[in-house]
Amino acid sequence: MTPIPVTVLTGFLGAGKTTLLNRILSEDHGRRYAVIVNEFGEIGIDGSLVVGADEEVFEMNNGCVCCTVRGDLIRVVQGLMKRQASAARGFDAIIVETTGLADPGPVAQTFFVDDDVRANTRLDSVTTVVDAHHVLATLDENAQAREQIAFADQIILNKTDLADEAALRAIEARIARMNPLAKVHRAVKGDVPLDAILGRGGFDLERIVSLEPDFLNPPHGEAGHVHGPDCDHEDHGHGDHGHGDHGHGDHDHHDHDHGDHARGHDHGDDIKGVSLSLDRPVDGAKVSRWLSDLLAAQGQDILRAKGIIAVQGEPRRLVFQAVHMMLDGDFQRPWAPDEARESRMVFIGRNLDAAALEAGFRACAA
Amino acid sequence: MPFALSAYVTAILNAADAGFAFVLGDGRVRFEDGREVEAHDGAALAATAHPSGQGVVTGGDDGRLVWTRPEGAQALAEHPGAWIDAVASSRDSGLIAYALGKRAVVLAPAEPDFQRTFDHPATVADLAFDPRGRRLAAATYGGVALWYARFADQKPVTLRWAGSHARALFSPDGKYLVSAMQEPALHAWRLADGAQAELGGCYGGKVRSLAFVQKGDWLATSGADQGVIWPFLGRDGPLRARPVGLNLGQPGRVTCVAAQGDRLGLGLDSGAVVALDLTTEAQSLVRSAGDGAAVTALAVAADGRLAYGDETGGAGIVQV
Repeated sequence: MTPIPVTVLTGFLGAGKTTLLNRILSEDHGRRYAVIVNEFGEIGIDGSLVVGADEEVFEMNNGCVCCTVRGDLIRVVQGLMKRQASAARGFDAIIVETTGLADPGPVAQTFFVDDDVRANTRLDSVTTVVDAHHVLATLDENAQAREQIAFADQIILNKTDLADEAALRAIEARIARMNPLAKVHRAVKGDVPLDAILGRGGFDLERIVSLEPDFLNPPHGEAGHVHGPDCDHEDHGHGDHGHGDHGHGDHDHHDHDHGDHARGHDHGDDIKGVSLSLDRPVDGAKVSRWLSDLLAAQGQDILRAKGIIAVQGEPRRLVFQAVHMMLDGDFQRPWAPDEARESRMVFIGRNLDAAALEAGFRACAA
Repeated sequence: MPFALSAYVTAILNAADAGFAFVLGDGRVRFEDGREVEAHDGAALAATAHPSGQGVVTGGDDGRLVWTRPEGAQALAEHPGAWIDAVASSRDSGLIAYALGKRAVVLAPAEPDFQRTFDHPATVADLAFDPRGRRLAAATYGGVALWYARFADQKPVTLRWAGSHARALFSPDGKYLVSAMQEPALHAWRLADGAQAELGGCYGGKVRSLAFVQKGDWLATSGADQGVIWPFLGRDGPLRARPVGLNLGQPGRVTCVAAQGDRLGLGLDSGAVVALDLTTEAQSLVRSAGDGAAVTALAVAADGRLAYGDETGGAGIVQV
């Protein structure tokens, strides 16, 4: 059977998860959804199946301390799969709505660890909804909120009508420092085009098409930021090295001097994204050993990682992704003749040592 | 003779005179003579025989516990919004147990006022009665809780072992309790003294299905690329034992096992169904790999007939 796509919806209480969920269920008439929720709220759209489940985090008894899964998700997916062969009872996609305080780690890991969940579903994305009005304060106060940003494939920056442009840019810049891989969609009342947020293939190795310079582009206001077509604002002087265009207008207390820090530096967030690139091919054995050792040693702190690697003597692209210690990698399509054979990877995690990661990666050069 | 049920086969049970009963993912129960009953408005998630020997008791994602006979269905309990995904019954004690999240509920169909509820710190994944139907085992996170099924106020004896326990089963002599874990391993406890052992090392995936064969001398299990049976013989039973592998001659991983007497049926994720007689070692191929979807349910009757069902509704009954 075709694996069922699963969208995990995270976000703090009041950010607008339920509004977005109701929009998906009411607008996307072509598909039947099974929705796993933790509290029965105002969800209840004809044709969708709403399943209540208590969030239960299980530690795997395999000696790996960060290997935790969501037992409720395993059970519910097993149960839902029993409907699939029936034309009348089956469904097309699953949405998991987590509570505001949920750690997305165990949810994502469930899709790597559990046999049944792996066999029957594919994690399409972790989508995090944040409230433009409160997000900066929430991120300051709450580690779970920071993890929800770090794990996201995409972030719905909701309630943008409650913040001005400068504030929105400051939020986007902070999000980009924490998670350079996530696409940020601005929204009011969750009004994002659904085809933009569903069908992301966020954990699909085949879909790691590019970690484009745009992804690796330091955010607005950071040293080295390159203005692309998506940057709809005037260029500004780089003389101040990243003091940037955000932050002047809004007196966010985190917007202290960014003067001479390397890209990837943050507001004091414990979580940040580190982007690495290398324009020489790497030694396949070295890089796989380095990645395994790195995840074994720092997998608790590395929340997500993705990469495309040019291996010496290998015509195909080596792609990988990781969630904590769980590494998933494979050779993908061949490098195109006109494509620069550049290796790129992004790590998102707590207390990452960007210089050490950079040095480790460079040492893998063939 | 193969036939199509056009729904996931959740379970197959021996329903006495009515023959095999196929419990389906679209909420139907289909009896061997072709009669069908709509038991659930949704999927049937778990099934057990009714203690009377007549018909089947099923739990569904419609929150209902239903007793279904060929003549019709009768709700035994209703919990709207909840799932009933574990059920057990005992012919000896006449009791039925079902799980509702973290709670296990015991009913006695012969005593309409009888009900016991047992609460657990985590969700109950499976329930099993001991051979006399007096004790109830509830598999949950961190161990298996043992309750006296008829007692109102009690603290359970908990057999602790780190990790999530998804299945529980007593050995037919009542001496051992076996659980299947989230990890690819079983755990076994000797109830008399609490001696325990992990039974593993031979599985490629979770063990979902357990069945005792030959009066309880052997425990057959799913989860490996061959049949795996554990000896429950001698003083230490499985505690110091090694498993025996059964070469099935078919590709794929075993997803389902069922037994009656010496006869063992095994279903694979490749669609293959194999029947074995452990005494004569005769092996017969009921369905070849690729001739159907992953096998999800099996049953063997005393007369040697075997019934199978798969995740897309492919099913059959054969005389082995």
